Amino acid sequence: MNLLLSDDYLLQDYPENITNTIRSGHSTCVRFNRKGDYLASGRGDGTVVVWDIETMGVARKLRGHSKQIQSLSWSWCGRYLLSACAGWKAILWDLQDGKKYREVRFRAPVYGAELHPWNHHQFAAALFEAQPVLVDVQDRKDVQYTLPTAPEYDTTKQTTTAMIYTAKGTHLLSGTSKGRLNIIDTTTRQLIYSEKIAERSAVLLLRLTESGKDFLVNSNDGIIRTFHLPDLSAPDLDPDTIQLPLEHKFQDVVNKLRWGHVTFSATGEYVAASAHNNHELYIWERAHGSLVRMLEGPKEESTYLEWHPHRALLVACGAETGRINIWSVTSPQKWSALAPDFVEVEDNVEYIEKEDEFDIHPHEEIQKRRLDQEDEDIEVMGVVANKTELEKEADNFRMPILFDLGESDSEDEFINVGFGTLRRKSPGDQDDGEGTGGEKAPAKKRGRGKKK
Amino acid sequence: MSALDSATATPFPEPPSKRRRVDGDTMNSTPQYNSPGNPVGARDSTPPHDTGLVEQTQGLSIHRERASRSQSRERYHSRSPTSSHDGSRSRSRSRSRSRSRSLSRSRSRSPTPYSRSQSRSRSRSQSISRSQSAQPTPPSIHRPPIRPNYQPHLCLKGHMKAISQVRISPDGRWIASASADATAKIWDAATGECLDTIVGHMAGISCLAWAPDSNTIATGSDDKAIRLWDRLTGNPAHAAHSTPDATGKEYRGSSTIRGGRTGNGPLLGHHNYVYCLAFSPKGNILASGSYDEAVFLWDVRAGRLMRSLPAHSDPVSGIGFCNDGTLVVSCSTDGLIRIWDTSTGQCLRTLVHEDNPAVTNVCFSPNGRFVLAFNLDNSIRLWDYVSGSVKKTYQGHKNKGFSIGGCFGALTYADDGYEADKDDKPQPFIVSASEDGDVVMWDVVDKRIVQRITGAHDGVCFWVDVNRETMVSCGQDNTIKVFRHRPSRQLEAQLNGTTPNEVNGHVEEDRLAPDDGDAMAVDMDMELQRQIEGELVKEEQF
Repeated sequence: MNLLLSDDYLLQDYPENITNTIRSGHSTCVRFNRKGDYLASGRGDGTVVVWDIETMGVARKLRGHSKQIQSLSWSWCGRYLLSACAGWKAILWDLQDGKKYREVRFRAPVYGAELHPWNHHQFAAALFEAQPVLVDVQDRKDVQYTLPTAPEYDTTKQTTTAMIYTAKGTHLLSGTSKGRLNIIDTTTRQLIYSEKIAERSAVLLLRLTESGKDFLVNSNDGIIRTFHLPDLSAPDLDPDTIQLPLEHKFQDVVNKLRWGHVTFSATGEYVAASAHNNHELYIWERAHGSLVRMLEGPKEESTYLEWHPHRALLVACGAETGRINIWSVTSPQKWSALAPDFVEVEDNVEYIEKEDEFDIHPHEEIQKRRLDQEDEDIEVMGVVANKTELEKEADNFRMPILFDLGESDSEDEFINVGFGTLRRKSPGDQDDGEGTGGEKAPAKKRGRGKKK
Repeated sequence: MSALDSATATPFPEPPSKRRRVDGDTMNSTPQYNSPGNPVGARDSTPPHDTGLVEQTQGLSIHRERASRSQSRERYHSRSPTSSHDGSRSRSRSRSRSRSRSLSRSRSRSPTPYSRSQSRSRSRSQSISRSQSAQPTPPSIHRPPIRPNYQPHLCLKGHMKAISQVRISPDGRWIASASADATAKIWDAATGECLDTIVGHMAGISCLAWAPDSNTIATGSDDKAIRLWDRLTGNPAHAAHSTPDATGKEYRGSSTIRGGRTGNGPLLGHHNYVYCLAFSPKGNILASGSYDEAVFLWDVRAGRLMRSLPAHSDPVSGIGFCNDGTLVVSCSTDGLIRIWDTSTGQCLRTLVHEDNPAVTNVCFSPNGRFVLAFNLDNSIRLWDYVSGSVKKTYQGHKNKGFSIGGCFGALTYADDGYEADKDDKPQPFIVSASEDGDVVMWDVVDKRIVQRITGAHDGVCFWVDVNRETMVSCGQDNTIKVFRHRPSRQLEAQLNGTTPNEVNGHVEEDRLAPDDGDAMAVDMDMELQRQIEGELVKEEQF
């Protein structure tokens, strides 16, 4: 509704500066849900924290992992959250009650696991030095199907390092440690396409745009490649004719930077990346393939990046402090909004008095005229849109409001000490605890001190 | 009581000549409030204890509670002799005008209801027969528009002082009421049983709000605190931070962070009475407005003050969230309505009416496109906040000095006794309390009064809330009234089975005596009229 009143669409569509810093322990990975109102963050100690972006506060804490969280993935409806940790297991959480909905153990540590775009009972996991698996968790006892890593003619030893679903969930894209990109049909679980896109360097990351028509590959050779993805779910698809046209290569040839984590913007117009051994975030424009912005942030490297699904808001995890920094754009207060009889004008406007402007009418006549003018037909009720079952389910899920978050977690950074007063619990300790908007937090200063 | 008749005459289908006269009439009675030259006349200070007060002893409690808040209330209250005088004049006129359609729902207390309604019914048989001729043929294609027909159902007693707000939970099962006696009560909406009495505030409670999950309520009080309560246990909802630290004292003075709570204690931060509250649709944010002229947005989970908006230059009297939670609307007795962006805290729009009447309550329309504002000039205005213009003005109730409340209501054909089907869109209406104790309902589009529940409360009726076919109101008489919509089809069916004598017999009983167990489904007078009219229609048919 606020879009009706704001000129925010005039603002630039990529973030400008840090507007918030939130913290709960040492965050290693973050992920927005589809609507963009909740942000899941995985911590180094295996706790998953769900943040409410509207309040910038913790909405839920999920405990069940004991090793660092490697990846997070939301279900379409926003009710289920899949977390995979370095400790050989993945947990599908039900956020309605905060309990484990399914727990899956693997025979190797997990690189990452991604949920099917709309079926939360299926996900794909890339495992460390093992074949990737497709997991069906329809029943309490999970079923794991092994997926191919590389075509049979490629005999070099390699593992799948990244895996994502296509937008419709019919296929999987996977990248291997030898720079190979595969397309796997999820029903037959067969490779239908494979191509070497990066010579002798591992694929680190795959990301798909919201529309599912483009994806990017970050590989170890310091090049981010973006590709167009054909519609793989077309009924007349011939696997032999699949082509993945390369669109852009983003790289820093001067500094020879290697990219840490990469993400598309909400519309896919921009690509943002964090770099190893560099504090800045890079934003490229995809239309021209040019670098548009380098975001200067905290004096630390960022590890994990995530762009808000529909706002110019970028979230990054700090490598050292584990803080979650949020970049966005802030629109200035329009002063004419505060005083409706004032108008902001660009140039001088010559005021022309209306003929009847200072005519004096009896009050009742004015009142009558006003009331007579109110003959418009208006609609105050909502519009009932036709919705699919899935959309209804998504609408029905409402994250419960918990009041006992603090009691389940005694390591909070701030504690209340009576009458609206907060204080930091133990300024030296930065392993756990949480805070919001902590721009001036001492832990950050310490981090800066270390660097210098 | 019948002062409303003068106001009723203003709505829309009246011939112009008559309306002008009526307008002149209201002008005479209250010239200084409507004249643009003195727009803030409403807030001129007058001695708080005026002679007019003595008349309404029941009003004293709430007046003492609110004495320091708004002198306007005192002022208007003290004027009650004038307005009653005005009322007596208009009553005489209303008789002569009884043919007008706008009067179809209103009635004055007459010692001989039977004869009166007979004399009047002829004039109205026209409109009635129209609606009835449509009813015997139930096919779903030509259904008459639903008219709200709320009839007394329950009377809830238990509060010791006037009740400032009453609200139905979003799931429609519970009723919460906030009273000047510093307690809030939770009632079962179906049985009227008092489930819990919430004690904890140190002063009168002015406002309350239900969380969207119907499990938590927030109360705001004159003790400057907001408290959150668990509906099930009636205990304070637990806060994020459990125990105050022993070392806390040294930090207390130095900290600049305002707002928050300790243990399961209240949300503290306002410098003055908390006067209005609203939960966001997700329940994660609580907005509060206070006599300290600020609007606060709270993170409900942590009990943390998220944002403080320097909102107004007078007490914030009403607050509301739009349906998607991105906008907050606040209003004040300074006459401004402001629309805020929840996420940035920026003011996006300010709405002021030319006459600058004080605004005492505000809410968004169900689709979030309009804002309904309750003004202290006996008007409710529907604003299009995007264009910044008033789209509709609803008049016919009395609101000159109190923060009275109302809201949008909606009924579907399913509620009205028809079979539910696909294109059964809810049909909206606007309901408001009135200072003469009535509850008034308007059609949203043509601004006509569609139902008036006369004398729902003795003294001022402060608040009305509707959840589909249930309506609750509260007032100065320490009671809560629960009304139920009686489907027009059901009524019709009953009508055919009753005889006039039975109806008369009922009328002899105490009309609105709430403690009378049998008073359950009766707004007798109105029903009587309808039935008689029904009879007349039959006679005409014969």
